Amino acid sequence: MSSITLGQYFPGNSLLHRLDPRFKIVLAILYITASFLCKNIWSFAALAISAVVLVLVSRIPVSIVLRGLRPILFIMLFTVVLNIFLTRGETLLVEFWVIRIYLEGILTAVSMVLRITVIIVGTGMFLTYTTTPIALTDGIERLLSPLKVFHLPVHEFAMMMTIALRFIPLLIEETEKIMAAQKARGADFSTGSLLQRAKALIPILVPLFVSAFRRADELAVAMECRCYRGGEGRTRMTVLHATAADWLMLAAVILFGASLVLINRFAPGFTL
Amino acid sequence: MNTLQLEHISYLYSAGTPYEMRALDNVSLTIRGGTVTGLIGHTGSGKSTLVQLLNGLNRPTEGRVLMDGVDIWEKPKEIARLRYRVGLVMQYPEYQLFEETVRADIAYGPKNMGLSPEEVEARVLEAAAFAGISPEMLDQSPFDLSGGQKRRAAIAGIMAMRPEVLVLDEPAAGLDPQGRDEILGGIRAYREKSGSTVIIVSHSMEDMARYCDELIVMADAKLFMQGSCEEIFSHPEELAAVGLDVPQITRVAQLLRKRGLALPESIYTVEQAAAALCRLMGGEGE
Ligand SMILES: Nc1ncnc2c1ncn2[C@@H]1O[C@H](COP(=O)(O)OP(=O)(O)OP(=O)(O)O)[C@@H](O)[C@H]1O
Ligand SMILES: [Mg+2]
Repeated sequence: MSSITLGQYFPGNSLLHRLDPRFKIVLAILYITASFLCKNIWSFAALAISAVVLVLVSRIPVSIVLRGLRPILFIMLFTVVLNIFLTRGETLLVEFWVIRIYLEGILTAVSMVLRITVIIVGTGMFLTYTTTPIALTDGIERLLSPLKVFHLPVHEFAMMMTIALRFIPLLIEETEKIMAAQKARGADFSTGSLLQRAKALIPILVPLFVSAFRRADELAVAMECRCYRGGEGRTRMTVLHATAADWLMLAAVILFGASLVLINRFAPGFTL
Repeated sequence: MNTLQLEHISYLYSAGTPYEMRALDNVSLTIRGGTVTGLIGHTGSGKSTLVQLLNGLNRPTEGRVLMDGVDIWEKPKEIARLRYRVGLVMQYPEYQLFEETVRADIAYGPKNMGLSPEEVEARVLEAAAFAGISPEMLDQSPFDLSGGQKRRAAIAGIMAMRPEVLVLDEPAAGLDPQGRDEILGGIRAYREKSGSTVIIVSHSMEDMARYCDELIVMADAKLFMQGSCEEIFSHPEELAAVGLDVPQITRVAQLLRKRGLALPESIYTVEQAAAALCRLMGGEGE
């Protein structure tokens, strides 16, 4: 089928790619929590190193990771500027007209940037870059399955997610095809007044909806032909198995969090 | 006139991502004006990618597309005008219909060209006749038509723009023999009336042999062969190596030759075979 995948999944076979998606979700949550434990310059250094290690282990090209950071560049810049100019502290570095820059401001700015970067890189390395969206929904379903006790439709929710994820790339492909076909008949989507542009969308939307409904219909029939009847008693083609690597990784991240706390307590240095 | 040239064309899908895909690799060829050229090649060999370069839907990653010696991307803003000159019927065009009536759908292209309502109407009727759409069908909803009829309506929608070059991506795929002949016959009629260049993508060697003057063979994103039907179909081994075939009648003639019948080499339609056999059997016609 089409190689178009949603999001940033980067195909590979690294340790992180092979981990169980359930563990990866837990790991990502733990790792982000750990990043909030950092209190001084040494624990921040450890955090930064751990992020670099994660990227290396995932074997995802650094250029791709940096590209993933681009959308939040503006937010980071904003945070830096706010923190540098507005934080008041004790060590005054620069005083010029109404501008006063304190050492504390700079340190807070650096720590904020580091934290945001680590959160993005952490979720990326554990989840979006190394886990296919389908594996991710599978993991979510399994993690949430205890909630079935309270009659929450966990399976149906996961099935909806899976189908939606599968359909989005198809719909994108379909839209591209229809747009190309209408362009071949002289359609113009980029010039004219707002009303004209909205009108120009009709030749795309009508065939797109027609085909989406047709596909949905076909899928429903195909599922019924194979006797789909919800999650009850349903077995799986790929059964998730936790391996030694999964448990080791979990232990490593917990240890990492614990060591951050220790570093905070015992290592001398600037407290942030 | 209406000559298309590709110069060292390469085309990448999703360039710069892990899904990068080289769909065309250094393809150079010339499609002479006024001919009917067939484009064949195995699935995924880059045929659809190639035809979408001809009307500027795809922009080549490397190389140039020339129409009558002028680079079509010389003025990117005017690429829309090129699309009226090079009309492209995409693969499975029936999924692009959207208007309330077939008449209005066929009129979409000519209307975009800014023609007067009378001119649009005249072109719609003309194109419908070429594509084999009866006048009653014109006022039906395109969604009520059968698959084959939808296909014809979509082809009429391109013909109504009176392109100088008509490009069709598998116009007859998935139709019954009569439907195929009607569509291909309509394309031939359009060409005879307008003198335009026609390019047809197809997997049917029989159709290619019957309707085309020239053939282009693609394999693995590269140009594999180009020449007249006789030249191409006289290389059955090479064609088989890239997953293609010669027309069945050509193979029959070949087997008959092996058994000692003095049939000529260049037989690739049933009519030619019949004529040659008649000549062998003593010369009476038919
Ligand atoms: N939109 C796209 N995005 C990424 N890759 C694509 C896209 N369209 C086509 N390709 C790839 O480019 C290659 C050439 O595709 P193309 O559609 O040109 O083949 P084709 O010769 O028309 O095949 P067919 O006979 O099946 O229609 C294929 O390997 C295909 O997977
Ligand atoms: Mg194709």
